[in-house]
Amino acid sequence: MDALSPFELEVARLLVETLHLEDIKPEDIAPEEPLFNEGLGLDSIDALELALAISKTYGFQLRSDDQQNQRVFASLRALSQHIALNRVR
Amino acid sequence: MSQPWVELPERSNALALWLIRTIALHMGRPTGRALLYPITLYFLLTAGEARRGSQRFLHRALGHEPTWREVFRHFHCFAATILDRVYFLTGQLQRFEMEIHGGQWVLEQATSGQGCILLGSHLGSFEALRAIGVHRRHLPIRILMNTAHNQLMTRFLNALNPALAQCILPVGGPETLLKVQESVEQGCLVGVLADRAAPGEKTVRCRLFGQAVDFPAAPMVLAGLADCPVILFFGLYLGGNRYQVHFERLAERIVLDRRQRQEHLGVWMQRYADRLEHYTRLAPYNWFNFYDYWREEGS
Repeated sequence: MDALSPFELEVARLLVETLHLEDIKPEDIAPEEPLFNEGLGLDSIDALELALAISKTYGFQLRSDDQQNQRVFASLRALSQHIALNRVR
Repeated sequence: MSQPWVELPERSNALALWLIRTIALHMGRPTGRALLYPITLYFLLTAGEARRGSQRFLHRALGHEPTWREVFRHFHCFAATILDRVYFLTGQLQRFEMEIHGGQWVLEQATSGQGCILLGSHLGSFEALRAIGVHRRHLPIRILMNTAHNQLMTRFLNALNPALAQCILPVGGPETLLKVQESVEQGCLVGVLADRAAPGEKTVRCRLFGQAVDFPAAPMVLAGLADCPVILFFGLYLGGNRYQVHFERLAERIVLDRRQRQEHLGVWMQRYADRLEHYTRLAPYNWFNFYDYWREEGS
């Protein structure tokens, strides 16, 4: 299986912590797997919580009208890349 | 096996909607209302699934096996509110006698500049809310709507009033609630119909008319995360040209402890369910969930 980069692992921890995914270990999340619906099975509530946590931790807002959202929310890897590019802290 | 509401085929077709609009706008409301009788009869005879849904509900609400007359009245009430949507959407509010209870809750909320969640249902006409709020008071109202479920109806309503179409937030994709949260943050009053959960959606179990119903969890979770008040609304159609709109404050803010979230959600949603039941008892023919709501079939 594809290994997580240190930053992907950090984002995975944030994800597990924020959403209280008790039966999932951060290091077990497959980086290319979809986060929503299939894959991890997250939904719109989770997306909102995740967006709020990202804004708190990394200091930038995910916007709902962002055309890239579909890509950003597609996988842990895509999300991590987006955060790395946009973070202000 | 009974189908959940999202899978039910769209009953309305383009011709029927065109007909309703043409009649409503060019022949007037009295003619339109007269034509509702044959239209209602047609749907009563052909829409078997909806008819069984109506019979089940009326049995529960009225306490006896409903007569054909009562089922007809139920369908007719629904048809009448669809016709009136045309007038609401084209701003012809002077036709109606609108009795508003608790209007101060929304007015105060809008003046405060802080957004809120308006929790509604498929009881009666939410269009009455939009008509009053947007046309008469110019309030910043948004409505979260499952536009994909009923695309024909959506196009039909949007064509009637393109400006009002802008106040619709479409459901779809993980960013749906993010969008709602942003609207609340901008000071909008966001209406959500909270009596139907889509398949796969997170739910919270409550009791309605003494039996379990799974309500969507999202509206209340959202109010908790957005840290905003929750106001209930019910737009009841009382027959003739009379509508009665009720607003009630449900909560100043929703605090959901993460570890006990499901319990807290249950408590808050049960309060919503209790008010829904209260108003449904006041106006049972306004119940516009024409399907096996309590999942009685096969149980």
